Parts: sequence; structure tokens; C-alpha cells
Amino acid sequence: MATSVLIVEDEPEFMRRFSDAVLGDPGLSLLAAVSTGAAAKAMLDALAPDVMLVDLGLPDISGVDVIRHAVRRWPGIDILVVTMFGDDGHVVGSIEAGATGYLLKDVAADRIAASIHELRVGGSPISPIIARGVLARFRALPAVKSGAVASPPAEASLLSEREVEILRLVAKGLPFDLVGETLGISPHTVVTHVKKIYRKLAVHSRGEAVYEASQMGLL
Amino acid sequence: MSTIGRARQRIAATWRLWWCVLAVGATLPCAVAALTPPLIEPASAWMIVSDATTPPQADAAWQPTTLPDNWAQTRPGLRDKTSWYRIPFERQGSASWAAYLPYLYDGGQVWLNGALLERIPETNAQVHVNWERPHLLVLPEAMLRADSNELLVRAALTDSASPLRFPRVSLGSLVQLQPLYERRLFWVRTMPQITVVLSLLVASIVLFIWWRRPSEVLYGLFGLAAAMWGIRTLTFVVEMMPTEQWHWWRVAYHSTTGGFIVVMALFALRHADLRLRWLERTLVAYWFIGPLWLASQGSGVETLVGRLWTAGMIPIGLSIVGFSAWAFARRRDVASAALLIAVGLAVVAGIHDYLIAWHADLVGRWFPGWAGHRVFLLHHGANLLLVVMGALLTARFITTLGAIEMLNRTLEARVAERERELAGNYERLGMLQREHAAVEERQRIMRDLHDGLGSQLFTALSRVERGDIGGPDVAQALRGCIADMRLALEASAQDDHDFLAALGNFRYRWDGQLHHAGLHVTWHVDVPDDTLVLPPHAALQLLRVLQEALTNVLKHAQATRVRIAIELRDDALHLSVEDNGRGLSPRQSPGGRGLANMRARADGVGAQLELRSAESGGTAIALRLALSRSI
Repeated sequence: MATSVLIVEDEPEFMRRFSDAVLGDPGLSLLAAVSTGAAAKAMLDALAPDVMLVDLGLPDISGVDVIRHAVRRWPGIDILVVTMFGDDGHVVGSIEAGATGYLLKDVAADRIAASIHELRVGGSPISPIIARGVLARFRALPAVKSGAVASPPAEASLLSEREVEILRLVAKGLPFDLVGETLGISPHTVVTHVKKIYRKLAVHSRGEAVYEASQMGLL
Repeated sequence: MSTIGRARQRIAATWRLWWCVLAVGATLPCAVAALTPPLIEPASAWMIVSDATTPPQADAAWQPTTLPDNWAQTRPGLRDKTSWYRIPFERQGSASWAAYLPYLYDGGQVWLNGALLERIPETNAQVHVNWERPHLLVLPEAMLRADSNELLVRAALTDSASPLRFPRVSLGSLVQLQPLYERRLFWVRTMPQITVVLSLLVASIVLFIWWRRPSEVLYGLFGLAAAMWGIRTLTFVVEMMPTEQWHWWRVAYHSTTGGFIVVMALFALRHADLRLRWLERTLVAYWFIGPLWLASQGSGVETLVGRLWTAGMIPIGLSIVGFSAWAFARRRDVASAALLIAVGLAVVAGIHDYLIAWHADLVGRWFPGWAGHRVFLLHHGANLLLVVMGALLTARFITTLGAIEMLNRTLEARVAERERELAGNYERLGMLQREHAAVEERQRIMRDLHDGLGSQLFTALSRVERGDIGGPDVAQALRGCIADMRLALEASAQDDHDFLAALGNFRYRWDGQLHHAGLHVTWHVDVPDDTLVLPPHAALQLLRVLQEALTNVLKHAQATRVRIAIELRDDALHLSVEDNGRGLSPRQSPGGRGLANMRARADGVGAQLELRSAESGGTAIALRLALSRSI
């Protein structure tokens, strides 16, 4: 069964580029392509996409809100954030909201569909800057999940040693095959680890959000 | 028993008397008098002017006279005449008898019933005497008659400025007279001795302070006053003087007496904060008149000097009271009050002494018994005054010390405050510098965007509009622009300016690109983690050089391998790109502009760029950036 894709992109040029890429791949099916956050939410309420491509700079609401909405509605959904340079804190913010991958806007057309497929089989892309951002986020997170675990470096208790090592090597600019080589695992296992890391960050960030909300008396 | 022979007894008695004076004062003689027969103090006697060395016969021209006898009143004009006094008396009771002469300034002889009892040295060619001490003579039992007795006293008067003064002699039991003698001895002899020692000691200390701190004029004046008082008192303590020095001894006496009063006046003026130059000069000038007069005219004028010049000191003394009162009115403190009281007492004492010395009749008119005792009070008034002045200056000294401590504390507080201010200034300065650095950094990046990305876009636009390039070329130009922008973002992205972070992203991007082009890439990064902090613009320029070098490898080198090394050694960062491509010479012209660009960028951050042939035959570009200096 083909992977169903929802595209949320307000710039027509890129909506068309992404749509063409999805339509041109037999393994993918275009569920819908919308240009506003509100429309995306409406679509998510009605339909169950496997993958959502979402631009963060939407005209009405933040792309991060759309991501949260999607994850709440469909916990198993894979979300690719469309970013211009992959440098900004928005990518890490999106991962915290539930995104599992990102797509550069100037990526070659043939890489769009490939990225979606890679995401579906369990691998997430990561760049050195994002690796650093993710590491920093884990350090800042309090260990809210389990009060029993005293954790001086939060990162150590939330991430496994291997996951930390992967992030550190990636941050140095080593390609996945070299990271795998260094750690004695396959490049595919590396990207699977990355996806797990993303999921952990999202879970812990939600936990932190819940914790903060309960602290403020909202819950 | 001789006068001098009683020294030991006298010392013991002096102490006893000292305590008596302190404890019971004048009541002691009264208590003694109650137990023994009354003293005989004849108010009249016989006298005869005679220089005989043995008592004149009873039939000589004895004249009746009253006692005490002061020639200034009874025989004015009679000078330098030695006389004999004959005092008849009846012995009463059986106690051991004695005669007490409160004073016999110029010495003489004492005879009892025609026999010599005591010889008190007189002024002669070698020695000038001036006995301040009283005389107590034991009357030997063997020489006394049962009924009427006769005491004969030769009162010498040789070469003296003063008229003859003969005291009222006291006769009675030794027990009664001893205390009277001891008490007078203490006040006229022991007390001046103590005064001399203490005054000169205090003067030397205070004058030393003044010598070291000349601005403390009050100390100087106090020291001078104490010194002069000490010397003046010395003239009473020293009872025998070689005759040739006697005159100068008297000059010294008058200088120091007048000097003490004048210096006191200056002290009181200063203490009252009155700065009257003319008055100070007048006072000092007046002071000099007396001693100069006496020194130039000889001993003959001493009486005149004593009467006239010394009288002038009375108004000066009164003015001291006035200045002190003024000071007290202004300051209203204990010190000024004490000074005023002490000055008042001293001036009263001084006037009293002057009157006793020169106008005893005036005193005698109001206090008949007193004048004849010839008790001078200025000694004690002046002592009190010196003590008060000393206490006053000590209090000032202590106050000054307190003020200095306070000043020190204030200064410390001020210094601390200044330090805080300075620290604040430094902080503000640091903040400004940081702000300035941030602004500079932003301007550098903007200029960089303008010159780099901007010019690339404008060039591409112009070529597209001219129709020089189309489709793929435009895409390539735009990709170049995006790559450049990405590089700028990577260089500026890290808050901690960690060059390795920027380099990581650069490597991630270029690794794929070089692999894609079929090159075998080796990265050699030998930089410890978190140690290489570079400002973003420097990081950007270095990455640009690397990017330019790698672009050249891709475009021109036709290489199969490329090695990129980043090393930190010898306090310098070494970047190198080495390929195994075509080498240098055949592509000099196409690489020309790229190389110039690289050199310009290296120069911009103070790095050296070297282009050479690699050992593998390709091209090697090496950049060295010294890190010790700021970039």
C-alpha cells in the first residue's frame, strides 16, 4: 500500500515541487496539499496521512502547532519539516513538537521522495547543527519522567550512552557511514537511533510541558 | 644642730607635711598649740643699723621697731645697710626651745644671750646669696636663762636691690615650731625644686613636638612658657651664686618672669583664635624692655625695673584673663573654662605677689598679719596654670588623634566607594566594549553579505539579463549564492563561537558533495574539543578559504583524492587542502582570481596562505593563523 502524504506549504512554487515529487513516485500517494495551518488541521481531523510535509512559516498559525495537532490526532504519523537552511532552532523545536525529520528547501527533486521513504523505514536525517541543538535540549530537560532516577547530567539518564555518542560524532561533521564505522554499527542503525532520539526528545518535551502545566495549575 | 645638718630629718618631715597639707592643712598647728605653751611672736623689737660682726652693746643707739620690719615702708631710702635686731623674750614651760625665722634673705648671724648660735652665709666678694628657705634654730638648754632672754640677729644687706626685710620671729617649743618650719620649707623650697624639674622636663618634650611640627604654635608657646617658668623658679632654688654672675642671674630672672607672662598672653590669644599681629608684637617688644634695661644699666636699676616694668605685667595678666574669657564665651567648653579659672587665679596670685613685694603696706592695711609672712603665691598659681595648659593640649592631642582616626575611616570608606565606582566604570566600559564588538561583528557580516552574496547575485542578474547565461548556469549561480549564505549562517550560528561546530556542518555538507563527485576524501581534524574559539567573521573567512579551495578541486583539479587537514599546533591553526590532481602550472589563469580571493580573505584575518605543489603531484593550499594575537 502506498504511503499517503499530506503537504502543508503556503508557497505555490514549493507546493508544486513537493506535490510533483510525491505524484511522481509510485510508492507515494498525495492525500492533500494545503496552504494554511487551519486547513491542515481540518484535513488531519478528517484524514489519516502516513507522512506530513509541513513548512514552519505558515500564514495563519505556526507550523509547530500543526505538528502538535497531527501527533495528538495520529501518534504514529511521520512528520518532515521543510526548512530553508536546517540551521535554526525551529528544527529542534519541531522535533520537540513531534517531527521526525527535516527537508531542505533546495534539496534536489529526486531526494524528496527518497527522504520520505527513508523516514518510513525508520531513519531520520540529522546534521551537525541539529545534533548539537538536540544534545543541548536534552541537557536542559529536567528528569520529569521518573522522580526515582536521580540524574546529575539529564542527558545521560534520558539518552543511552550510544545515543549520546552518535549525537557527538554527528556534531563533529562525520557522515553516517563513518559514525557507524566508529561505533561498529551499520549506517542504517545510526539513522534508526536518530529517529529514536527524536521520539525521546518529543516525549520528554511533552512530559516537561505537562510538568510545567501542572506546576502552573493548568492541569 | 645646724640648718644644713637637718637635711635628713627635713626630707622625712617634708613627706609627713605633704600628707598633712593634703589631709588636714592648717588645722595641724592649732591642734599642737592646744597641748603646749603659746608661741612667743614679738610684734616689736630693737634695731640698730650696724655692720658690726658681733652684737652692739646694750647701751648703743638701739631704736624700737615693729616686726615684721619692711624698710620699704619704715625706712624708705635707707639702702644696703646691715642691721642688728634685738628681741627680748621670756621662756615659758620646760620643753626644748627653738627660734623660727621664716626668712632671712641675705643671711647674717643669730646670737642667744650674747653667744653666737648660728651663722648664715652672707653676700661677699665671691658669693651672692639669696636665702629663700626659712631657718629653725634650736636654743640650747644651757644657753637659756630661766627668765628673760635675748635673741640678737644680724640681718645682712649687701649689694641688694631690695630693701631690708626682717620677719616676725617665732619663739617656742621645737615641737610647735617644727611644723611651721617644715611647711614653709616645703612651699618655698621643695615645691620650687619639683617645679623646676617638671617644668624643664615638660618643656623639653613639648618643644621637641613643636620642633617636629612647627605648625602647632600652641605647643611651642606652652613649651616656651614651661621652660621660662622652670628657669625663673630655678632662680629661687639656687640660693648661692658667684657674685660676677649675679647680675646676669637677675636678668635671667626678669626675662623669664616677664617672658612667662607674655607667652601666656600669646597662648591665650591663639587659644581664643584672636590673630592680632600688632598686639603680639607689642607684647613681645614690651617683654624685651625689662631685661634689656637691667642688662644695660646694671644692678642699680633693678628696683626701678621691678617696680615699673613688672607693674606693666599686671595689665598684660588682666588681658590674659580677658582673652581667656573671650575664648570661653566663644567655645563654651570645659577646657576654656579651666583655662579661664587657672589664668584668673594666676593673675590674682601675681598681683598679690607684686603687692607683697612692693606695696606690702597696702596688703597690710587689709590683712595685717599676712604681708609679713611674705608668702608668694604666683609659684603655685603658675604651676596650676601650666598643669591646666598641659591638660588642655593633651585633650587637644587626643581630640586630634580621634579626628585622624575618623578621617582615616572616612578615607577608607571613600576609597572603598571609589573602588566600587571604578569597578562599575570598568563594568560599563566592558559592556560598551562588548556592545561595540557586537556592532562591529554585525557590520562585518553585513559588509560581507553585501560584498559576497550581493555582488554574486548582481553579477548573475546582469549576465542573465544580458542573455549570456541561461537555465543550468543560473541554477548553478544561485546554488553558489545559497552555499555562500549557508556558510555565513554556519559560521555565525554558534553562540559559543566554537570553530569546530561550524567546521562540523561544513564537513557534513562538503563530504556528501565531494563523494558525489567521485572523490576520495580524507579529513584530518586534530583540534581538542571546545578549545578553538574564533570570532564568527574569522571563522567565516577560514571556511570561505576552505570552500574556495574545495570548489577549485571540484572544478579544475581533476583529482581523485583530496585531503583536508585542520590542526592546532605551536599556538597556530593550520588548514590545508591537498589534492592529487593536475597540479599548479597548467591552471594558473583559471585559478588566478580564486587564489587572489583566498589571499585577500586570509589577509583579512591575519593569516598566511601558501600555495604549492603537493607531493602527489596535485596542488596544496596551506593556511596558518597564529592564535596568540587577537583577531
